[in-house]
Amino acid sequence: MSRCVVISDFNAENFAGYLSQEPALPAIEAHAAPFGQVAPLLLDAGHACWSPRPDVVIVWTQPQAVSEAFGRLLDGELVDLTRVIEDVDHYAAQLIGIAGRTGCVLVPGWVLPAHHSGVGLLELQHETGATNVLMRMNLRLAERLAGAAGIHLLNAQRWIEAAGPRATNPKLWYMAKVPFSPDVFQAAARDVRAALLGLSGQSRKLILLDLDETLWGGVLGDVGWEHLTLGGHDQAGEAFVDFQRALKALAARGVLLGVISKNDERVALDAIAKHPEMVLRQEDFAGWRINWNDKAQNVAELVEELNLGLQSVVFIDDHPVEQARVREALPEVLVPEWPSDPMGYRKALMSLRCFERASVSREDRERTRLYITERQRSELKSQVGSLEDWLKTLRVSVAFEPLSGSNLARATQLLNKTNQMNLSTRRMTESELFLWASHPQRTLWTVSVTDRFGSSGLTGLLSVERDGTTARIVDFVLSCRVMGRKVEEAMAAAAVAQAKAWSLRRVEARYQPTAKNMPCLEFWQRSGFAVNGDASVFEWQTQRAYPFPEALTVTSPTAAEAVMQDSGARGR
Amino acid sequence: MQAIFRAIDTVNQARPPAQRLRKAADAVLLGPESPLDSLGLVNLVVAVEEEMAEEFGVTVNLADERMRSQTNSPLRTVQALAGYIATVVNG
Repeated sequence: MSRCVVISDFNAENFAGYLSQEPALPAIEAHAAPFGQVAPLLLDAGHACWSPRPDVVIVWTQPQAVSEAFGRLLDGELVDLTRVIEDVDHYAAQLIGIAGRTGCVLVPGWVLPAHHSGVGLLELQHETGATNVLMRMNLRLAERLAGAAGIHLLNAQRWIEAAGPRATNPKLWYMAKVPFSPDVFQAAARDVRAALLGLSGQSRKLILLDLDETLWGGVLGDVGWEHLTLGGHDQAGEAFVDFQRALKALAARGVLLGVISKNDERVALDAIAKHPEMVLRQEDFAGWRINWNDKAQNVAELVEELNLGLQSVVFIDDHPVEQARVREALPEVLVPEWPSDPMGYRKALMSLRCFERASVSREDRERTRLYITERQRSELKSQVGSLEDWLKTLRVSVAFEPLSGSNLARATQLLNKTNQMNLSTRRMTESELFLWASHPQRTLWTVSVTDRFGSSGLTGLLSVERDGTTARIVDFVLSCRVMGRKVEEAMAAAAVAQAKAWSLRRVEARYQPTAKNMPCLEFWQRSGFAVNGDASVFEWQTQRAYPFPEALTVTSPTAAEAVMQDSGARGR
Repeated sequence: MQAIFRAIDTVNQARPPAQRLRKAADAVLLGPESPLDSLGLVNLVVAVEEEMAEEFGVTVNLADERMRSQTNSPLRTVQALAGYIATVVNG
């Protein structure tokens, strides 16, 4: 249950109610702080609303309440734009000031009050039109908050548009100081919920798609790829192309695509390769199961192959029977009701609101390629004898880098979504992680892995904390994409080397069991660390360096490399 | 009555289970026996007005302060509210 405080210049009780009562996950317990006291609440760290520490704070203001100058502009006065921008800067500074008091801050962007719109030609007039100035205010706020850890802007205009003419009701405002209708607050609550899922790494990561009547119109086996309904001067054909474009855009943000289809595999792959209007090609799919087997079984197999959990998956199929089959057999998979008309496909996809991300990292953009190269690695593995031989053939190198502003987003994402190779399974926001790692008694490295097929990106985290004469490994996190390539051993070596650099005698790894991190326990059991009494505590005496895996090299030119050299790692 | 029940559904969506208004003719809307606080009553009034406008194209003004303070206020119960609306609609 996330504890949420709503700070606003209007009565936000209704909004807090919708946030708390919506049955969808994640569960939120929302409270509206006394309204109309935005600046005092943001500036007063001792106010009761900050205790206990909220997990989420939503600061929702109206532009005229933040900028008195903008209020005068709404009243028809000519105002100095620099005054408005100063007000925005002041507000942004207040928001940045509260980031350390909560897990994350969500800030809806500003919209014009309903009764102030509709002045026609003057609305967008350069530097004087209310909408023109409001756009500048929103852009300035976004600029000022860019890079501020743990603060995220939400697009409130979307909620107003979704509610349509019922977005506002003057009676709600005049009688209760509620500026928006339930429809707006419900749309906002949905977005907040989606944002929190995304920030905690629980958004969906894989879309599995049917082919016939889903990615294209027509039955491939009957009509051949040349006669599929796809693109061209045809309303349904255009709609299928648009749907594929929307999927491709999601893939560019790190969502994986896969195919689950009852078809002949060779014929289907041929169609994907040859149809001139296909937007998605074979290289856009992380994997597929194209055969005549049960689709639920195919989904389960493909998800396992891709090392994901079923809770990460969305299954899209036009056929209600197939939808029902997967829904029943695999309840963790999200199986949306799908419109019968392809012209509704794109809208249906966009309304799912389960692919949220706070940021898009290089790894996100290249995720599909990473899975394809992983497939190539597996093929190579089957041709090469021993693990050591395979690793030498792969030419694996590891880079250790300290946590910084440039890798914080990806590091947090990895911390929050990694389940299997995760020693303590901590979940933290960006600001919490950065704050934690900034302590002088701690060090946190990100681990990036590269081999002959390319970079797997930032795929590991290692943090060590000084505790008396012991260096305690707190985070030992590795993506399943690079597990089993001796990167685990390289990380253990780094931890031991760090302990030695701190002149500590002992390194300890304390395994915190979860339902999913058994692979982590298995690693520590074979790591060479001694079991210390309790079967979940492993230790190493630092008078002996931990052997760095022979087949691996270290590439990063950072302080971490110096530490690594102590453990016998080969640099490059 | 159905329009009022739909309005109650809208209002209840933002309220914890223990504070939800019953969809029943004798459900009390005003006073200490009502689960609605002042904001809840405003929400209900606005929701009923919107339902009436949308469903029947009828403008009903339930937001008059006097309506809440009358001894025989039409906002006493769901039944009283339905009766008042019927009177207004039927002229």
